Amino acid sequence: MGRIIEEIYVWRLPVRFYHWVNAICTVILLVTGMYIAAPVINPPLGEAVWYNGMSWWRYLHFATAFIFIANFLFRMYWALFGDDKYARFGGFRPWSPAWWGKPFREQVESYLFLRSDEPNYVGHNPVAALAHFIFIFCGSTFMILSGLAMYGENNPGGFSENFFGWMIPLFGGSYALHFAHHLLAWIFPIYLIMHLYAVFRHDVVDRTSVTSSIVTGYKHKVEEEPS
Amino acid sequence: MHNNQTFAEIFRASGISRRDFLKFCSLTSVYLGLSPSIVPQIVQAMETKPRTPVIWLHGLECTCCSESFIRSSHPTIEDIIFNMISLDYDDVLSAAAGHQLEDVRKKIMQEYKGKYILAVEGNASTKDDGVYCMVGGDSFLNTLKETAADAAAIIAWGACASYGCVQNADPNPTGAAPVSEIIKDKPIVNVPGCPPISEVMTGVVAHFHTFGTLPELDRMGRPKAFYNTRIHDKCYRRAFYDAGMFVRSFDDEATRKGWCLYKMGCKGPTTYNSCSKIQWNGGVSFPIGSGHPCIGCSEPNFWDKGPFYERLADVSFLGTDSNADRIGVIAVGAAAAGAAAHAAVTAVKKAKAGKDSEDKA
Repeated sequence: MGRIIEEIYVWRLPVRFYHWVNAICTVILLVTGMYIAAPVINPPLGEAVWYNGMSWWRYLHFATAFIFIANFLFRMYWALFGDDKYARFGGFRPWSPAWWGKPFREQVESYLFLRSDEPNYVGHNPVAALAHFIFIFCGSTFMILSGLAMYGENNPGGFSENFFGWMIPLFGGSYALHFAHHLLAWIFPIYLIMHLYAVFRHDVVDRTSVTSSIVTGYKHKVEEEPS
Repeated sequence: MHNNQTFAEIFRASGISRRDFLKFCSLTSVYLGLSPSIVPQIVQAMETKPRTPVIWLHGLECTCCSESFIRSSHPTIEDIIFNMISLDYDDVLSAAAGHQLEDVRKKIMQEYKGKYILAVEGNASTKDDGVYCMVGGDSFLNTLKETAADAAAIIAWGACASYGCVQNADPNPTGAAPVSEIIKDKPIVNVPGCPPISEVMTGVVAHFHTFGTLPELDRMGRPKAFYNTRIHDKCYRRAFYDAGMFVRSFDDEATRKGWCLYKMGCKGPTTYNSCSKIQWNGGVSFPIGSGHPCIGCSEPNFWDKGPFYERLADVSFLGTDSNADRIGVIAVGAAAAGAAAHAAVTAVKKAKAGKDSEDKA
């Protein structure tokens, strides 16, 4: 048994807001995106003018994508100007060898069961920071840029095409970019599995209430009572 | 060779009425996507400017571009095109052959230094000094470099010259490379397609002749007038796509009703060309119009993005049977398995730790 000795306000409202909007958008984008790639619902018999099966999925995908982008930009603003020590980029310096030093190594060792004690972080641990940088920051950035480039194809000469159309020759054609967008969409379900597992495991092992912290904002520090 | 003749003179000499000549000018302006107010400019250019000399080289190719070109479907267009561009060298169409023909090429290169258009059909093999394509006793690689040196501009006909087509499809045994990878210092117009539409080909030539400049190009060096939108954007079956009404096999009811071929692997949504606008053989039809999905022949490396009848390409380095979704499912499965294994180890460790502390107590 343990005793909660401290409540720490870790995830402030903008962070929790971003997290849930992002989570919902990602799921919708993944489902609608996969549907657009492989429309499985059987077409009704009749005239095309009666239905809008495919365009509805595409509409949902694009509308959600713009919410996703706005939310992403909001989170970037918060990371850079939010003055929130658990939400900023400040501590994340992968270009510096020092960042890959002791804390990162200790965390990796802990995940690989090479140490018995778990390093404890109030915010993200270094491995989590790296995972979020790769999957969420880089992954979202790529999906946004490639998505806007492909969205621009609907309106040649328009805003999206002018500002993001360079992605198409970069990947060697529209088909190649669609393919990359489709393939890299899979990093999100992979991330989701790892994320949920890591959260639940940390909650069980560290008992910091990390699962509920993304709703309430509070993490707990637990003191072991001598049994 | 009728040097310095204008188009109008040739038209007259061929017995074509002025009415037909003006019709041709108007149609050309329409195909180029120009406004009707430009028509007088075209007429003026055709009447006053001497014909542009063209050297047309053939490298590693199948001559489908030439086949398309000679079928340009305006009234009397075959005659017009042969006369109009002053096609001084073309080793497929020329009456002369051998050294005689090669001499003509050298002569044009000297007489019209920096003024002639080099039209390239096919691409050059770059491996082993280009021995895999020899024309007139020299490698095509050398001929191309030599002829390009004094050209005003280069037109890269077809998928071969623009992007490489089947010759540089994986594994590209002859090191075939598109014109843009060999010639770096000349303006190049890519006119991709396998073959390009005949009216697109004549339209590009007419634009150069009329304005003395290359047509406006997009990011991939293609004339915007013809390659600005996807087949999909102007496809007459687009309504079925938006409605979600798809052909599922080539013998179903939907096929007979002419529904969208998206699920049959149609590459129309990712292919920039004018097939759904201008169509082929004088507007008779185009692949989708004839019930076949677009294979994306005017897009880079379309041979490596197969199969033609599936939406999602195979990833060749992982074997022919893997595509993005299989890779994704395997990766997600691996992540889930990894998480489960990690959880199991955590549980065992925790149980052991608990036991240890109990033992100590």
